[in-house]
Amino acid sequence: MVGNAVFRVEGLRKSFGHNEVLGGVSLELHAGEVTVLMGANGAGKSTLVKIISGVYERGGGTMALADQDFAPKTPAEAIRAGVVTVHQNINDGVVADLDVATNLTLDRLSGSGAPTLFNPVRVRREAKAVADRMGLAIDLKARVSDLSLADRQMVAIARALAHQPKVLILDEPTSSLSSAEADRLFALIDRLREQGVAILYISHRMSDIRRLADRIVSMRDGIVSGIFDKKPLDYEGAVNAMLGRKIHLDQIIVRDSANAVIKIDGLRIAPGARPISLTLGDGEVVAITGLVGVGKTALAETLFGVRKPLAGTMTMNGKPYAPNSTGEAIAAGVFLVAKDRGENGIVDGFNIQENISLPFHKRMSRFAVLRRRLERATARRQIEELGIVCRSEKDEMSELSGGNQQKVMVARWMAQDARLFILDEPFQGVDISARRDIAAKLRASANGRATLLFVTELDEALETADRILVMSEQTIVGEHRNADVDLDRLLAEVAGGPLHSAA
Amino acid sequence: MTLRDHAIRYGFIVLLFGLVAYFSIAADGFVSPQSAVFIFQSVAITGVLALGVTATLVVGGFDLSIGSVATSAMMAAAYVMVVLEQNALVAVVVCLLIGAIVGLINGWLIVYMRVPDLLATLGMMFLLVGLQRIPTEGRSIATGMTMPDGSVANGKFSDAFLALGRHRFDFFIPNLIPVSVVVLLVLAVLIWFFLEYTRFGRMMYAVGSNERAAELAGAPVKAYKIWAYVISGVFASIGGILLAARLGRGDIASGNNLLLDAVAAALIGYAVLGAAKPNAFGTAIGALFVGILLQGLTMMNAPYYTQDFVKGVVLVVALVFTFALSGRGRR
Amino acid sequence: MSITRRLLGKVALGLAGATMLMQFPALAADKPAPFDKPGVKIALVRYLSTGDFFQAYLSGVEAQSKALGIDLRVLDSRQDAALQSDMVDQAIALGVQGIIIQHGLTESMKDAAQRAVDAGIKVVAFDVNVENPKIPQIEQSDRDLARLALEQAVKDNGESWNAGYVYVAGIAPLDRRNETWVDVKKKYAGIKEVAMFGTLDNPIANSVANQARSVLSAHPDIKVMFAPYDEFAKGVKIAVDEAGLNKGIKIYSADISTSDIAAMREADSAWAATAATNPAVVGQVSVRALAQLLAGEDPGHNVVVPPTLITQKDLIDKDIKNMEDLSAKLPQFAHADVAMPAWMPNPNAK
Repeated sequence: MVGNAVFRVEGLRKSFGHNEVLGGVSLELHAGEVTVLMGANGAGKSTLVKIISGVYERGGGTMALADQDFAPKTPAEAIRAGVVTVHQNINDGVVADLDVATNLTLDRLSGSGAPTLFNPVRVRREAKAVADRMGLAIDLKARVSDLSLADRQMVAIARALAHQPKVLILDEPTSSLSSAEADRLFALIDRLREQGVAILYISHRMSDIRRLADRIVSMRDGIVSGIFDKKPLDYEGAVNAMLGRKIHLDQIIVRDSANAVIKIDGLRIAPGARPISLTLGDGEVVAITGLVGVGKTALAETLFGVRKPLAGTMTMNGKPYAPNSTGEAIAAGVFLVAKDRGENGIVDGFNIQENISLPFHKRMSRFAVLRRRLERATARRQIEELGIVCRSEKDEMSELSGGNQQKVMVARWMAQDARLFILDEPFQGVDISARRDIAAKLRASANGRATLLFVTELDEALETADRILVMSEQTIVGEHRNADVDLDRLLAEVAGGPLHSAA
Repeated sequence: MTLRDHAIRYGFIVLLFGLVAYFSIAADGFVSPQSAVFIFQSVAITGVLALGVTATLVVGGFDLSIGSVATSAMMAAAYVMVVLEQNALVAVVVCLLIGAIVGLINGWLIVYMRVPDLLATLGMMFLLVGLQRIPTEGRSIATGMTMPDGSVANGKFSDAFLALGRHRFDFFIPNLIPVSVVVLLVLAVLIWFFLEYTRFGRMMYAVGSNERAAELAGAPVKAYKIWAYVISGVFASIGGILLAARLGRGDIASGNNLLLDAVAAALIGYAVLGAAKPNAFGTAIGALFVGILLQGLTMMNAPYYTQDFVKGVVLVVALVFTFALSGRGRR
Repeated sequence: MSITRRLLGKVALGLAGATMLMQFPALAADKPAPFDKPGVKIALVRYLSTGDFFQAYLSGVEAQSKALGIDLRVLDSRQDAALQSDMVDQAIALGVQGIIIQHGLTESMKDAAQRAVDAGIKVVAFDVNVENPKIPQIEQSDRDLARLALEQAVKDNGESWNAGYVYVAGIAPLDRRNETWVDVKKKYAGIKEVAMFGTLDNPIANSVANQARSVLSAHPDIKVMFAPYDEFAKGVKIAVDEAGLNKGIKIYSADISTSDIAAMREADSAWAATAATNPAVVGQVSVRALAQLLAGEDPGHNVVVPPTLITQKDLIDKDIKNMEDLSAKLPQFAHADVAMPAWMPNPNAK
């Protein structure tokens, strides 16, 4: 096996500033084999892909293609050498306003030796050759913008394959495809595998991985944490290697709750998904964990009134709860600390005080006039409570560290009492001490409300929650009381193994 | 605070005082209560428009239709009084309604039809420039005009309406302050208070800075955006009322110069007190700045094209203050 | 073709009225070919069209066309010089017998006009010099306009006063009016121009009012404002009123409209006089000159429509309230005896 590695990476390093993203990654890709690369957010997958595809320069280590040194300076150079990448965002790979034929031959329109005149007949002829080789059954005259996402994806891949690559890298290609569409993609990948292309397939979706993988490489914190190539593949081992347990946790004292705050019954958040039923109790902290893309954010947004469920009911304190807007959810006492604070939380140009008061203007004003003294007092109290490191409540958000920014986001919603407090990936981009502070604060203040966390990292769930629920394929597949957790079963559920009934 | 911070914060105010000092020496008769009042009067109409467009800038939008809303309101006022022979109150109400309706349509196009703000309001601008000509087939409206059907319009601008443009309040000196200046000052204080001190204003800034965050904080983002365009439309129609009252007739005009001056004032306002964001106080100062410049230059017999040039220089300098010096390249 | 003729006949009949109907056959018989029967096709190719002046001009063209039984096509390029040139070709393709070019740029219209002439079409041009000896130029005399207004100013105020002058260079009619102002200043050493200003920012009256206010506070010694364009004059009047100087300053201008009449008639109005050519008359003259060409007559290369002086006193004494009154009560304004051969019907005759 080792002998016929088409592509070899050894000891690859990369740092951004002081932040080491890749700490010596070694990887082999073999002809006619699909190697799946797994890793949580921030594990270094995309950095690795960008170095291989010539977007970033490597910080150290070697790469070899067919035993020749491989050091692309630009993406174009990598493609010419035979290493082709299809990036996650489909629309980066196609030009929506051109037809399929032009898209398939787009790379021949530029570069040295490209003809000056655009010859539609020749373009169509070349495009047909590419499409035939791929078994692509799409009208070559159709405009890409009129195609379905799956067809666009096919075109993007076909376009990549027009270069007849030795190595093909697919970065989460199914993230926006339906399962039927994904099947077409898999058939294509099978075909390429037969043709002897070495494929690196990056995905979180266990169903994809089960369908395709010949080998699995797990990454964690910038290093390869596990390689699995013995059939049958050890999927749970791969997930474990990817999520792992970094630190020895402080045991938490698990609480059980008697009084239900919110009951969810038969909630369906995606077409074809199995319904979700669960109950959250007063004073308990519940974590929902699962891989990226299993519907955690969708569930959080459904609870918060951002999107509507396809079916099912929710009741809060015995009364029906069906928010039409975030405003209604907030009025009912359901608060959400959204994930990705830069995108969904922080208001640039507002200082700490103004960011904290944002959702509760109505409660902080008299005849619509904001009571600034009350606003400032609230901000000071929250800064104190969460230990936000700043000079004063008038500091700009951009002056704070990531951890302190996140504390402000949590402080914003803890300024008032919630009935259901939801936090979606609250520990993303947060250093360990801030994470501990936030978790401790959540547990200390948990009485009087139900607290629901959505986290991808298992550690975060184990460190914070009384109960851990596992999500997979847009539904809840497992439940664990956070005391003597059966980690094997939990990991199996995360990996989408045989479904256990969800209580 | 460093010297640089001081320069960013107070630079423009200092420039304003410097300008006043210079014209006081260079132009005879520049320093007098009448001259001061006149500067306010000359910027009253564009100032009102600028305050309106500030509201759309705050929510991260833009309104190119304000100039034509103003001239359409002017035509409507003239049409209501001269052709339909109604009184001043009806004319004012009709104008305000036009402003509100145009604002609603703009907001609807932008929020629900997802037309980019510049394009939606540009379309509305053309629409209004054409629409205001339809009732009279392109004629300006004045008492005694002949209508397309050959009849003669006998209504006239009522005295109450003309007073909006011509009446002056006593202020230490008799007959000193015109109504339009009072309207400008009142609207400036109102919108300033609204944006700075009410929860609605605060949330409008949040919508302009991070729409998604505002929505997740429970704000009805769409409603806020539509309201911003309604405010802009209504303010523009108030500008149109003042214009009609000053001219005493309905004049066919695109209002593009009103638009450009108003936008310039609002953008200059970004630089005032280092705000680096749209704000009512800055807009008012920006309008005043332009007014002082033009008054001084005209008194010194500078031809009109130098005035456009100087306006452009001021705007560019203000934008440099805002974006480069303060290092905050954001709206 | 027959349908058009019948339709046109009906329109002409309906509008001519009963008395006209009696005279019509007799007059028609007197007219030279091709006007001996109705349906002569001409085109009006416009560069400028919005505003009172251009509306009135068009109404004059329509009135004279109707009186001659002409089938008029109006092509409006809305200030697009290239389009206007294309429209001449369009008119040629339409098979018109005559073309009136109304405004435009010499550069873009010179060749287009030549193409029309080469196609055997008769052409006249209004207010645009197409530099073609075969094409009569219809003109309102801007120099005469300025001269009439300034003569009245001298008559009213003597030969020595301080003046404010509103002028924007680069606009052809304003440049021609400016020549007269320069001459007058030379002739009367006592007339001093202490301030010159002006802008075309629209609404023009509003922008000029702002400027005029500044000028009035800088130069309180101004006695006469010469604003040889009515939009300028309106702006100056607003400023004078706002400054409360309406009794001490007189405004002299050019051009007239209904709203100008109202402004001049106001009590203690500073607007003393204006000189104007009736745009409707200019329109009529344009059609008549073209008709003469078509009938094989020569209207002359320069067809000048003379202006009329209109004073505040005229308007008040004769109780003139709008443009219709003006035409009715100042006959020299309603009709110009230009391009009027004996056979030519007068659209103003009642």
